[in-house]
Amino acid sequence: MAGSGNAHLRPDALLSARDLVVEFPAAGGRTVYAVSGVSLDLAEGETLGLVGESGCGKSTTGRAILQLPRPTSGTVQLAGQELTELDEDAIREVRPRLQMIYQDPISSLNPRRRVRDIVAEPLFIALENVSRRTAMAVWQERIGELLQSLLRRAAAPLRIVGRLASVAFVLWILSETVEDRAAEGWLGWTQVPAAIIGFPTLALLLLAGAIALLGGLIWVLLAVMLPFGLMSRQFGEVSSAVGLAGVVVTTGASAFMLWRTWSSFGGWAKWLNSGGLILLTAVLAVWLVLSLAKPERAGASGVATTLSAMVVLQVFYVAGLDGGIKLAVLVASAVVDALLFRWVLRRYRVNRDAERERAEPRVREVLEYVGINPDDAMDRRPWEFSGGQAQRLSIARALVSVPQVIICDEPVSSLDVSVQAQILNLLEDLKNLMGLTLVFIAHDLAVVKNVSDRVAVMYLGKLCEVSEPDAMFEEPAHPYTELLLAAIPQPDPEAELGSGRIGGELPSPMDPPSGCRFRTRCPHAAQRCIDEEPEMREIAPGRFVACHTPLVGETAPVRVETASASRGES
Amino acid sequence: MPDLPGSDARPLLDVAELRTTFHTAVGPLVAVDGVEWSLSRGARLGVVGESGSGKSVMSRSIMRLLPKSRVTSTGNVSFDGIDMMSLGRRELLEMWGPQLAMVFQDPLGSLNPVMKIGKQVGEGLRVHRDLSARAARSAALDLLEEVGIPEPHRRIDEYPHQLSGGMRQRIVIAIALACSPRLLIADEPTTALDVTVQAQILDLLEAERAERNMSLVLITHDLGIVAGRTDEIIVMYAGRIVERASTKTLFRDMKMPYTEALFRSIPKVTDDSHARLEIIGGQPPTMTSLDPGCKFAPRCKYAQDLCFAEEPALIEVPTPSPARSRITGSDDDGEPDVGADTHLYRCFYPVGTDDAAEALERNIASGRVSEAGVVIRTD
Repeated sequence: MAGSGNAHLRPDALLSARDLVVEFPAAGGRTVYAVSGVSLDLAEGETLGLVGESGCGKSTTGRAILQLPRPTSGTVQLAGQELTELDEDAIREVRPRLQMIYQDPISSLNPRRRVRDIVAEPLFIALENVSRRTAMAVWQERIGELLQSLLRRAAAPLRIVGRLASVAFVLWILSETVEDRAAEGWLGWTQVPAAIIGFPTLALLLLAGAIALLGGLIWVLLAVMLPFGLMSRQFGEVSSAVGLAGVVVTTGASAFMLWRTWSSFGGWAKWLNSGGLILLTAVLAVWLVLSLAKPERAGASGVATTLSAMVVLQVFYVAGLDGGIKLAVLVASAVVDALLFRWVLRRYRVNRDAERERAEPRVREVLEYVGINPDDAMDRRPWEFSGGQAQRLSIARALVSVPQVIICDEPVSSLDVSVQAQILNLLEDLKNLMGLTLVFIAHDLAVVKNVSDRVAVMYLGKLCEVSEPDAMFEEPAHPYTELLLAAIPQPDPEAELGSGRIGGELPSPMDPPSGCRFRTRCPHAAQRCIDEEPEMREIAPGRFVACHTPLVGETAPVRVETASASRGES
Repeated sequence: MPDLPGSDARPLLDVAELRTTFHTAVGPLVAVDGVEWSLSRGARLGVVGESGSGKSVMSRSIMRLLPKSRVTSTGNVSFDGIDMMSLGRRELLEMWGPQLAMVFQDPLGSLNPVMKIGKQVGEGLRVHRDLSARAARSAALDLLEEVGIPEPHRRIDEYPHQLSGGMRQRIVIAIALACSPRLLIADEPTTALDVTVQAQILDLLEAERAERNMSLVLITHDLGIVAGRTDEIIVMYAGRIVERASTKTLFRDMKMPYTEALFRSIPKVTDDSHARLEIIGGQPPTMTSLDPGCKFAPRCKYAQDLCFAEEPALIEVPTPSPARSRITGSDDDGEPDVGADTHLYRCFYPVGTDDAAEALERNIASGRVSEAGVVIRTD
């Protein structure tokens, strides 16, 4: 097979992928050629079965259609809209129409979330997409993305700086008791060793360190618990102006403390010491504003890190101040922090409840579609369900946003046969009920035959055969299809165990064979298969094969009239 | 391998009244309940059932692989006259490898990730046969070649993660075969694998079994896998054997509604595309609180009041085909017919009888079962 060519494509398809190529970089500068020029299309209401061995690129193809990740080259059109050219935001808007069901139902559902939230999630994304997007929001996101990538790269050094800073802070506090700070206001780095030596007991030092560490841990814990999963995506809306004001106040307070600290500095060394901190604070402050404005962009852990870093820095500045001002600023910043956190929590709760209420009828409806009793299930968590039920939840999640196309990646491979039958029947029912268009990826040909209107066989990143299932299974045209069919276990002791076996292993996708990619394992391989890659061509109405010597039809090139006529029909 | 006379009529493995109980927080869970079967030398047994039917726990009970705390196994397991249940840890170590070996579902989980393949394959030989490191390595090389690993000279010094799933399962099989066991238990050996690789692995198991005159227990949830590759099949449900027959008899004349339901739920390549699959409604029973009566009754389309009140016993039907005598050992074609004279099932309304047809009609009339034969109310 493995050939290229687009003879099997139809003009009126709902989803059309052309010449998809997905390559991944591998160690040693090599490339994994996972998908090499696959073209597929789907008519509305059709189920396309995509079948092949592990490593043939069928899942990668499915994901490339979803732009997860984006294909290296090729085009994907959904109802005429080109997906490969859309930016991240536009793709997010398309996703409710293009959903996915994964193989392992348990691990594709977040164990800490309740069924009602899991199933409703695509709806929230859909709702968000209709919310206003101002130029300001776009600008914020751009800056946010830039800063986020910078921060991500700087994360490790920042952590080291943070740790050094907290150690220095503890030493500074301790040194205060033995040094006269009145003249200086701040202890220079060079004086730190003197401070340590001057300190009466090491034991006290350790105790103080432990306390500082504990305090830090509590802060981190608070910061992690608070925004993790709690941030609502409604933050970016106009109603969150109050929240933004709160952030601005905090930032202002920080800037004030920064100025106070700076102005109390004397020498060069101190300016240098604080220079990095000033820069860092400025970055963090801007970042916090942006991330709170659009928390789902920043990611929960990003917000958590920023919040905790802000708090650490606040403590730093407070410590650098003198006497009465020190106390006043400490109290003020604590109050501001408390208000900010409280506001975050309350915003979250209000939004969450409102969203839930809006989504609930729809969630109930889809749960009923997939045969799960919403009254029992809504408030349970995924791990309380059996594999088959969890797969029903995955299906419900995929259905909730009324998608045009669902990509099912081995949805029944990890299930018992009896449960597999339930899920296959369910998909069939839903398809009839809702007019779904499905891509069904599986390695089990019997399963694929049962659900599909059209079957595409893949081998090592290329298509072998595209055909209507009954004909393909009756009389496979590609040698690979024939061997795949022979491998299916028959539930009949009288049936002959398939005589033909595919010997050997799939060749490495880093170094695919020349010509037809299946030739190394093909019983009919000839010199031509080494030299020349077969093109997809029509060998019978509705049957397309990429093979020089197909097992069906004439081996001569197909007559042009037949091809165009049948394509016109379909 | 020891050359055993074919006239030895004693079965290789005899399991009687095997009962394994897990003591859980919510009470005792009888995972295997009074299972009885025997297996002749060179014979192939298939064990079929859904997840949670007790088939894996049964195999581990026989192997004595279950932990000691909070699990009790009672009954008799006699392997070639040796009472497995009475063996101590040291004696079991002597048994595992040369006598009984096991192949598990997940090859990556049963291989040591930080040990080279050659060493893992040769380990059993060094322990049981006192081979030197050099001799074990060359034996391992032969084994790798035998199980169809390409380039065994290179692969022997690789680690499991460097191999594909199918190759890993071949390694696991090589380890299991290293000491030429007389019984191999394969627990879902191909469930994690592709159809093509599955066929290769099953072929390999069958070839090795025939060559070594080894007995094979093949545990699976897929009736399709055992159909062409076993002599006898046990169907398990809720820790019990619900049907037991020679493979041909079972597929030709299944009596237990559960077996029928399992069979019908398999998508078959011979069916038309979009053919409706028959499903088994409801859920497997909660094993800690079993109701009286037939355990399958709530999901059974034939079930009557009697089925809910009283559990049917495992009874024997005469095989309609001319009864064959029990033959032990392999015959000329390498396919022994074992236990072909017994067909046991556990049902008051066996499939294919008039009673069952009437029962189904009554259920449809009462609305418990739909016209299509699917249980609507699982009461």
